[in-house]
Amino acid sequence: MCLAADVPLIESGTSGYSGQVELIKKGVTQCYECQPKPPQKTYPGCTIRNTPSEPVHCIVWAKHLFNQLFGEDDPDQDVSPDTEDPEAKGEDDDHTVTEAGNIKRTSTHQWAQEIDYDPPQLFDKFFKTDIEYLLKMENLWKTRKAPAPLSWNEATFHAGDAMNDDENDIKAFEMKVWPISKCAKVFSETVSVLKKELQGKNFLVWDKDDKSGMDFVTACANIRASIFSIPNKSRFEIKSIAGNIIPAIATANAMIAGLVVLYAFRVLAGEYDRCPSIYLRAKSIHSKFILAADKQITKANPVCYVCSPKPFVNIFVNTEQMSVKELENEVLKKHLNMVAPDAVLDGKGIVVISSEEGETEANDNKKLKEIGIVDGSILKCDDFLQNYELTVHVNHYEAKEKEDPLFKVVANPEDLKAKEMTNGNGTATEEKKQEQESNEDDVMIVDRHQDGDIEDDPQEGSSSKKRKINPKDEDDDLCIIDD
Amino acid sequence: MGEKLSAVEAELYDRQIRLWGIESQEKLRAADVLLIGVRALGAEIAKNILLSGINSLTILDDRTVTEEEQPRNFLLSKTSVGKKIAEEVLLKAQMLNPLVKISADTDCPPSKDVSYFKKFTIIVATGIKPDLLLKIDKICRSEKIKLIFGDAFGMFGYSVSDFGKHTYYEDQIKLIGKKRKHDGSDKTSVKVKGEINYPELNKVIILPNTKQSADSIKKSKRRNELFYAMLALMEFKNKHGRIPNIETKKDDIESLEEIKKEIFELYQVDDSKSKITKEIFEVIFGEVIPVCAALGGVIAQEVIKAVSNKEVPINNVFLFDPITYDGKEETVGV
Repeated sequence: MCLAADVPLIESGTSGYSGQVELIKKGVTQCYECQPKPPQKTYPGCTIRNTPSEPVHCIVWAKHLFNQLFGEDDPDQDVSPDTEDPEAKGEDDDHTVTEAGNIKRTSTHQWAQEIDYDPPQLFDKFFKTDIEYLLKMENLWKTRKAPAPLSWNEATFHAGDAMNDDENDIKAFEMKVWPISKCAKVFSETVSVLKKELQGKNFLVWDKDDKSGMDFVTACANIRASIFSIPNKSRFEIKSIAGNIIPAIATANAMIAGLVVLYAFRVLAGEYDRCPSIYLRAKSIHSKFILAADKQITKANPVCYVCSPKPFVNIFVNTEQMSVKELENEVLKKHLNMVAPDAVLDGKGIVVISSEEGETEANDNKKLKEIGIVDGSILKCDDFLQNYELTVHVNHYEAKEKEDPLFKVVANPEDLKAKEMTNGNGTATEEKKQEQESNEDDVMIVDRHQDGDIEDDPQEGSSSKKRKINPKDEDDDLCIIDD
Repeated sequence: MGEKLSAVEAELYDRQIRLWGIESQEKLRAADVLLIGVRALGAEIAKNILLSGINSLTILDDRTVTEEEQPRNFLLSKTSVGKKIAEEVLLKAQMLNPLVKISADTDCPPSKDVSYFKKFTIIVATGIKPDLLLKIDKICRSEKIKLIFGDAFGMFGYSVSDFGKHTYYEDQIKLIGKKRKHDGSDKTSVKVKGEINYPELNKVIILPNTKQSADSIKKSKRRNELFYAMLALMEFKNKHGRIPNIETKKDDIESLEEIKKEIFELYQVDDSKSKITKEIFEVIFGEVIPVCAALGGVIAQEVIKAVSNKEVPINNVFLFDPITYDGKEETVGV
């Protein structure tokens, strides 16, 4: 928006001890999109539903379970075993498992209501029956340790791990890992509380600062982790991961806020070239810098698909399989951040996508090829809301391996080629990974704080390659100072 | 109140506990802080350390609020003019964090002695003269109290720390095994202990025309020259009993240039190659609030490190560049 209106923007943020201030001025400095950013961390659905291997997988699953039981219906957040897992099918496709799985697909929410949220029944379904079902998908456990189903009775009579139940002892409640019997107890208690909260409402919204919701997720994540022999975590740690908390402190905010104002003075004086990016770093014994300013402003990337005078981008998509709707939602909206795009097929003048309702819906389910978008096609895209015009060069591409992304977006295709050459047979290169953004239906997005980015960079305030410390859609935890 | 955090505190300080850990929060919870001088910079420091969750804050300042400074200090109100500044900041300071005990002391700082200072965990001083600073430092060293001093002059700012014999813990990210993975699962956090022996300030701040021994001056070829600008401003205060004033800008810059020459002579610096030019002295006038905010953030962060023994503190001088806005550590007197 600021680029469109040509208004200078001082972008800033903090994350823990670190922070940064950066001026974005059209045609003078680089913009937010000039450097490719790492994709959001995603976990494939089958990892969450079938084969968790890290605590975070169980935490994501527990949040989904909350939503399945108490939240808004979201088919992407299924918690039951995923029978479509390609890994589970094996050589001679196992029909019985697939079919049985489909029959079981009644709404979890509905079923829970039918049994009046009876904790023991719920517990046995999610932690015993479902796990037993997973065990039947034998292919999954050939190379992994098989999960161990846990029944309500076993969990509640877990001997020998009594815990001080004094919830006023904050340190113990927050910092210590709860034994399984405690998890089962909390599961039962929170289910009852949440059931009451749900009465008279359509659904509950999970919030990390809601005690019952957070207790529920802690208990369920740890029970599931135990079943899969994954280390358990404390409520405090789980809250950080589940709530995607980026800790903010007053001191770092004060330093960055001060610098923002100092730069605002310079911007008002038109001294854009005196506003190179400044990075706040945690002090280390290896570095004398606390506040490190770049030596000069970072010039805009001339082939940036957002701020260059004639934005241009190459997309690599499977023109035989991708539908127009997918092109619009996954590529133009999600990846290229358009809001209400219009797209015209260049040379033919065909309106493929229109932001006006009722104009091009007929195209939605057609494959790109059917409508004439093939390798070499050029799409003129226009996002009226952002006053942003983009020329999209279409390249046909087929994902060959499971790891390959379904599509790629590259400003300059030469970059991609060069990297592929040096990497031999075009296997997944670093570049591809960076560009990767899958549009599979069963991919969940979990944004996590990109820890380590700054520490990883041995250079001091001179590199333009430093990544943002704050992804665009951080939660509001950043703004902690308010008087 | 014991040292254990209550549920209310755990909730209030949740985000920072996630950053520095519950042990650090407990140490902050036990800290008694003395803040000398609560003008624009002092107010910024007060805000940050109050929000960090210390046990008590004592504000020592004998001055009265002037008309010019009132709108520049967010802890003051319009009715504060002419009244004791230490008392006038109390109301808004307390609103920042009701859990911290705050008190005002309107005595004159030089009148205080060892029995007063020894009650504190750490002393944060702003706007005091170098001789008083050195006197307080002696007391701090004998009583094992941490000390940090800082001032902001226009666009320029600095701090000097003496944390005595300071041990700290730092979480370092280490790789497990040799192979790097991209999901971050190959990293683990290790608690590493470190120690810094801070030199006494008598060996750090050596000014011309004093009885201080110049023997302690260690030649450093790559000295951040802003350090000399810092000394020049300290000496200016010694000489004139006030800080540089925009109304006497021309004379004050001349005086600073003279002082600079004396300092360069003492420290054997070649003036012709020096980066401390008129350009620097041009921008040291007045109180620039965003500079106070940034420097106040740095100083408060050092207070938190000193008290919690967590993370590597600045050893021992911090210099904020008035032109580039770089903020660098400079180790002096070791």
